[in-house]
Amino acid sequence: MATLTRGGETAMIGREPGFFDALMARFGRVILIGLPLAFLVIWTMVPLIWALLASFKEPLEIYESRSFWPRNPSLDAYWTVLGMDGFGKWMFNSILVTVVATIVPLILSIIAAYAFARYLFPFRHVLLLLYLVPRIIPRVSLIVPLNDLMTDLGLINTYWVLYITYIASAVPLATWILVGFFKAVPREIEESATIDGANMWNRLRYVILPIAWPGVVTAAVLCIREGWNEFAFVLALVTETGMRTLPYALYMLKDSMGVQDYAVYNAFTILTVLPLLVVYLLLERRVVDSIVSGAVK
Amino acid sequence: MAEGYVEYSGLKKNFGAVPILHGIDLKIDEGAFVVLVGPSGCGKSTLLRMTAGLESVTDGDIKIAGRLVNRVHASNRGIAMVFQSYALYPHMSVDENLAFSLKMRKTPLERIAEAIKGAAGILKLSPLLDRLPAQLSGGQRQRVAMGRALVREPAVFLFDEPLSNLDAKLRVEMRAEIKALHQRLATTTIYVTHDQIEAMTMADTVVVMHDGRIEQVGDPLAIYDRPENLFVADFLGSPAMNLLDGKVVATDYPDQPRAVEVAPGVLLPIPGGAAAEPGQSVVYGVRPEHVALVGEDAGEPVTMTLVEPAGWETHLHADLAGLSLRILSVERVGAKPGDRAGILIDPERVHLFDRATGRRL
Ligand SMILES: Nc1ncnc2c1ncn2[C@@H]1O[C@H](COP(=O)(O)OP(=O)(O)O)[C@@H](O)[C@H]1O
Ligand SMILES: [Mg+2]
Repeated sequence: MATLTRGGETAMIGREPGFFDALMARFGRVILIGLPLAFLVIWTMVPLIWALLASFKEPLEIYESRSFWPRNPSLDAYWTVLGMDGFGKWMFNSILVTVVATIVPLILSIIAAYAFARYLFPFRHVLLLLYLVPRIIPRVSLIVPLNDLMTDLGLINTYWVLYITYIASAVPLATWILVGFFKAVPREIEESATIDGANMWNRLRYVILPIAWPGVVTAAVLCIREGWNEFAFVLALVTETGMRTLPYALYMLKDSMGVQDYAVYNAFTILTVLPLLVVYLLLERRVVDSIVSGAVK
Repeated sequence: MAEGYVEYSGLKKNFGAVPILHGIDLKIDEGAFVVLVGPSGCGKSTLLRMTAGLESVTDGDIKIAGRLVNRVHASNRGIAMVFQSYALYPHMSVDENLAFSLKMRKTPLERIAEAIKGAAGILKLSPLLDRLPAQLSGGQRQRVAMGRALVREPAVFLFDEPLSNLDAKLRVEMRAEIKALHQRLATTTIYVTHDQIEAMTMADTVVVMHDGRIEQVGDPLAIYDRPENLFVADFLGSPAMNLLDGKVVATDYPDQPRAVEVAPGVLLPIPGGAAAEPGQSVVYGVRPEHVALVGEDAGEPVTMTLVEPAGWETHLHADLAGLSLRILSVERVGAKPGDRAGILIDPERVHLFDRATGRRL
């Protein structure tokens, strides 16, 4: 509120502050920041909570009752899912493919992003744009040619087909994120390390990566998410039941059940989402810690 | 001529097609404290970074301790550099920052511990060794940056405007500390600054640079007393030298056969030995502290336009026949704007420059 100082007194311009002003003064920040946040939380959490509650319901309850809450909450659906033939294998597949499709792209992207961020080679801008092409083209349009190619190579129904396609789609994403974080590391800090006798690998290891660590974690989180949730490639390039990943298995579950058991379906969903949530929470803490501890200026 | 400890010969630098340094020739003695000074953008940092090995050499040679280092990697030149931004490793504690270069060189751990202890003692960093740079004040960060240079026992220290991020008071303190450190270690030091006071107070030898060229090299007071050209005359000194355009004329006074006419009818005295012919266009230079204020009825008449008392000295601006003149007096001058007074100039303190070439006459 605009004020004028006259002879030591503060004169208020405009009308007297009313009840609303007092309210805004006290709760303004809370309302301005809190309301949108609350909305976002509800927006993202409601489907998840709905699925969680539905997973505790009886098999056909969803058709009979409109209540949000389960009538007789039970874990039966979870036992059904965990007892399924192949669930363990699918979980293993998902974890294996995700780990490979996170670690390999991170290594490749760290090196590529360092080059993009620090070396003035010709066509680097164009190259960085071309890098994005695989992500701009709709994934579905890649499926037919990829299927032909992978069939010719004899890779259909192998882990290799998933490694290759997942890594290829994760590298551009991770590289783009890391280039920004690497560029933000002041050049003088790296020059200082150069004078101190650190070669490129040592600079990356001891200086760049620790400073850009939140970026590495961000890239890792996105690679994990991509690998864990990927659907189009696994759907197109894998046919054997034993080679499925969790999202594919979840999709097939719908078809395999005559009358749909929504509780089982939702339990499967929750079990698919849960590992990802745990990883998110663990990694998010590390990003926050590294920022709070002053590692990033 | 003897070899310099650090020696530049015909050193040139282009960025792309743009020439930035146009042939630097300079010899720096072992143990000297040399300050490169010049306005922002004149190429000081470029010269320092080329010395460090962070920029390539376009043409010419750099020698350090008798060795041609043009193609020697930055880590093998025996130099240590302190950056303007300090460039501390933000994720490492102070002792890790100090240890880094030694670790990279695979120095035994006991030696590292010793070196850190030594540097921390000299720079009063001992109580701070566990802190991260973010937990330090500006002055402390500055000390860590110096400590990091110190532990390597380099042949040459390079400083690039190390004090410009500090507040005025701390800057004066650190100035003295760096100078004291140099007196203690006697390591050859090249120090870059755009601040002419820093240059004057710290240097054994000042190198004044302008537009990628060296304008003058010498002892700070010698340069101050005898600037070789207009640029140096204008750049060194605060408040700056009065520089008045004029023409050399012959006079009727036998003891002052020549003078400079800076305004119609206003004749100012010039040194007896000045190589100036009557009719020549010159720039007449006199430092504010060499203009003496006298009574209204003596000397050239002036009118005060601005009086700035600064405690132990007084800065005055006066109007001399339409020209603005800066005067510095260590007396408490009781003058007010509008007051009339006279000025006297000691001809032996006058600097005369050729107007066309800017060279000292
Ligand atoms: N990497 C670079 N690429 C292109 N021009 C540069 C580069 N570094 C410096 N310059 C230019 O060189 C000139 C001198 O810069 P610098 O040595 O930093 O000046 P100073 O340190 O004296 O202020 C400036 O005009 C600057 O724009
Ligand atoms: Mg500079």
